[in-house]
Amino acid sequence: MPGTLREQVASPLAAATDQMLADRAADGDLRAFEVLVRRYGPLMRVYAIRILGSNDESDDVVQESFITAWQQLGTLDDGSAVKSWLMRIVSRKSIDRLRARRQHVNIDDTDAPAPDHHAPHALAEVESQTEALARVLAALPEDQRRCWTLREVAEYSYGDIAAEVNLPLSTVRGLLARARKTLLREMEEWR
Amino acid sequence: MTELTPANRRFLAFDLDDTEREQAGLSGHTIEHLSDYLDRDRMPADASIDDSPDCEIALRGLERLRRAQRLLLERDLERESRRDDSWVSAILDNITLEAHAGREIPLAHPSPTARLVVTEGAVRGILRETGDRMQNVFVGRCVLVGDVSVPGAPISIGVDVTVFPGENIPLLAEQLRHAMYVALGKYTELVVAAIDITVSDLQALPDAPAQEKEH
Repeated sequence: MPGTLREQVASPLAAATDQMLADRAADGDLRAFEVLVRRYGPLMRVYAIRILGSNDESDDVVQESFITAWQQLGTLDDGSAVKSWLMRIVSRKSIDRLRARRQHVNIDDTDAPAPDHHAPHALAEVESQTEALARVLAALPEDQRRCWTLREVAEYSYGDIAAEVNLPLSTVRGLLARARKTLLREMEEWR
Repeated sequence: MTELTPANRRFLAFDLDDTEREQAGLSGHTIEHLSDYLDRDRMPADASIDDSPDCEIALRGLERLRRAQRLLLERDLERESRRDDSWVSAILDNITLEAHAGREIPLAHPSPTARLVVTEGAVRGILRETGDRMQNVFVGRCVLVGDVSVPGAPISIGVDVTVFPGENIPLLAEQLRHAMYVALGKYTELVVAAIDITVSDLQALPDAPAQEKEH
């Protein structure tokens, strides 16, 4: 019967627009939803890992995000905006996890999922620039890292970031500028 | 022409708290200005930036940062895309179709105690699959307009459709409408007064998947 099949054959839906897929998924088409999961799941995981570190929690957060998305797709007015809508869901769930985690660990007062070691000079020679960048990003303060990730991974505008983190635009610009300067300084160190 | 700034000259305007010192090291600009300038592809040209060796060093640093950021994102996406399929199954297995079942549509049954229904979601599924069996057409959103809970009450159906370029739209719409009437007659008892087909997008140019690179 319609809607209950899950074939592993390549579907022509794989070529459909976001709008078409979101509309069909909102109507209950699981195959269209599966195409969205494959199309944006990797990006959502990258996002979750940047916020939470690479661990089971990132997997859980992406899974929860898609389950929420499936239930709430009917509330999405513009199907062509499904990518940023999904990124918003994973962003919120990642922050919820971070907060929950902090309540469990209140003595050990580190504020980042954190690099295992912090010795940029010793590492500079063996570490590629991307690895180094990943490490420095992970060490940014939480608010800067969140704004940076919304900007660079979710591709949010400054205004959308401000709305999402509930801070004035000027504060968001300040946080991003600070993050950028820290990253620039670290990159100078690696050269 | 001015001499090129040595590539290995260190950029020093990294003061995180003192904007004045930052500006002093960047010919009156800030890293934020310069980053915005790069976002605009250095347009319109600003001589006070372009002619400043300090700004040039900072711009070079920003460009290097962007490159590293882009490479990191590509590398991460590639790693995530290479994972086996179990994560997709884990998501789909945790999803319930009831979320989109919609209204219940009664079906007649000879026994007075039996109650048979088909859900609105299932009817939309029938309409979609009818379209999927045809070539060069995608059926999008389907709505059932009217009181579907009253047996025999006429309803109308709205269907959004994407047709591929080069197709005869009126002909294709008519074929689709006919196929949908047949399918609905086979699986439901709905009295369908009209099927309105909206051809919503003639471009049919698929979105490139996010991880696909442009060349």
